[in-house]
Amino acid sequence: MLRPYSPRLLLLLPTVTYRTVAFVEAARRLGVDVTVASERPSTFERANPTGLVTLDFADPAHAAVQARTFAYAHPVHGIVAVDDDTAVVAAAIAQELGLRGNPSAAAAAARDKHQQRQLLAAAGVAVPRFELRAIAADPDGLAHGASYPCVLKPLRLSASRGVVRADDPPGFVAAFRRIKAILEQPDLAECGDWARHVLVEEFVPGREVAVEGLVTRGSLRVLAMFDKPDPLDGPFFEETIYVTPSRLARTAQQDIAACAQAAVRALGLREGPIHAEIRHNDRAAWLIELAARPIGGRCSGALRFGNGGSGLGAGVSLEELIIRHALGMELPTVEREHQASGVMMIPVPGAGVLREVRGVDAAQAVPLVEEVVITMHHGQMFVPWPEGSRYPGFIFARGDTSEAVEAALRAAHARLEFLTEPAD
Amino acid sequence: MSAEVRITAEPIDNGRCKFLVSEPVHAGGVRRFASPDEARGSPLAEAIFAISGADVSEVIVSGNLVTVVKRSPAPWPGVGKAVGQAIRAALAAGQPAVASKPAATGSATADDALYERVADLFESQVNPMVARHGGRVELIDVQDAVVMVRMAGGCQGCGMADVTLRQGIEAMLQQHVPDVKGIVDITDHTAGSNPYFAAAKK
Repeated sequence: MLRPYSPRLLLLLPTVTYRTVAFVEAARRLGVDVTVASERPSTFERANPTGLVTLDFADPAHAAVQARTFAYAHPVHGIVAVDDDTAVVAAAIAQELGLRGNPSAAAAAARDKHQQRQLLAAAGVAVPRFELRAIAADPDGLAHGASYPCVLKPLRLSASRGVVRADDPPGFVAAFRRIKAILEQPDLAECGDWARHVLVEEFVPGREVAVEGLVTRGSLRVLAMFDKPDPLDGPFFEETIYVTPSRLARTAQQDIAACAQAAVRALGLREGPIHAEIRHNDRAAWLIELAARPIGGRCSGALRFGNGGSGLGAGVSLEELIIRHALGMELPTVEREHQASGVMMIPVPGAGVLREVRGVDAAQAVPLVEEVVITMHHGQMFVPWPEGSRYPGFIFARGDTSEAVEAALRAAHARLEFLTEPAD
Repeated sequence: MSAEVRITAEPIDNGRCKFLVSEPVHAGGVRRFASPDEARGSPLAEAIFAISGADVSEVIVSGNLVTVVKRSPAPWPGVGKAVGQAIRAALAAGQPAVASKPAATGSATADDALYERVADLFESQVNPMVARHGGRVELIDVQDAVVMVRMAGGCQGCGMADVTLRQGIEAMLQQHVPDVKGIVDITDHTAGSNPYFAAAKK
């Protein structure tokens, strides 16, 4: 019997992503054929050459050639990336194979904070004043020429790794040296010119929100807007709580959505998910960052689309929407569920080696809390921000209001206790 | 006793959730129930199938782990609380929560034959492959042509474990043992202490 037609999705999964289960299982639910591409070979690749392929994520042009070779034998109908680097690879492959995707230049600009700032500023999108500085430069000299408060950040690292606020010249010098030390680590120092520069930009006060959206032919559809109720004023910018729907005034939300759309246009993004960080104050909505990928970590678990019942549009995940979009399938719904929802990226409790986590059951028992996920393993090292980028885990809650969800997340977190011991 | 039972829910996706229980629920290997009829005589499985609005399609019990599969889009928090109550009630009743595996029937005989073929595949191909990453995959049981596995070593808690399961092991089963209808991972991945790939990015 002939097997029914099933489109093939090329899913770009770096081996260090948190997103594997969410995307692989979403693809299975949709009944599409999946090829998982990673930067390191699976031990099963020879046994399942249709379902597994290794691509050179460090070289998008090379990856596109590899993908073309693969697609000759196994036609590909859509491509999905899950992080900043694979978004650039996906764009190159989409262009090579004629798939729905972003122009390579747009994806590359979204990944690089300096390129992004330049394009946004040129297009009139509100961004902090910024300057590019070489890490080889003398920090004392730079510090005297800077305006305060300012924020120093690497051009590409994710999860606010290496992002530091400085309020005066001594703070600038300390921040600069700290970031330089991060960028000189062997795994980063070889990454290219971007790792030899730092972006210095004006600190913009205000409430920060995260916008999750889906772009179709250049037009942004906002899927969710998350408040970040913990102030992100530095000196480091480790994220904690995201809660949706936003409690900002409707006009502020409209300004934020317009800012995100303007940024999408300025960068030249055409198709696929975006995740934007935007600050809002009485002057404007300021684009802090926009990435051509979905929300990171396990945070997508806070998003669910459709409202109960059964059928096509019930309980749809963000990953299902993204896969459907990539394959040109019908989107059953893009309306987020009625309930408020939130996630806490559990803060790193301090430097050390994780020995035990206590209180998970108690945290789980907090009303409205749906799930407490500890993603770090015993024996793993906690590295606080700004050097770190790995959360101990995630807490999820749902409820009638954003206030109640936020309170539940905080109550659950208060019940957790991380026992560590000093690193050798 | 029931007040002391601790249960941790680990949703895999909106359809499947693992419940880790602080004490053994069923010590006699793995039991899988694919319908309320099959659950008859096993109080825990009966109670889970009876959860209103969940439309439970499968219950798998093994040691301290209860895996529940549902068709309903109802979110896990509500369903999970009902599952937790069912587990606590079953343990408090002082009777076996799950009946022992029945004597071999036609289906069980077929499962036994499948088990042998799957075990051969695991020994000859699957485990040598995962061993290259310090991993190991145990074949726990085959019930109604569904294979139950537990991952260990570098596979337990690995960020790519689901890729290994779906794109590796499941694909090999489809090719070499096409009578297999599905595969279920009953691993407690949170307890993995040496995963080959650890998730690091936000």
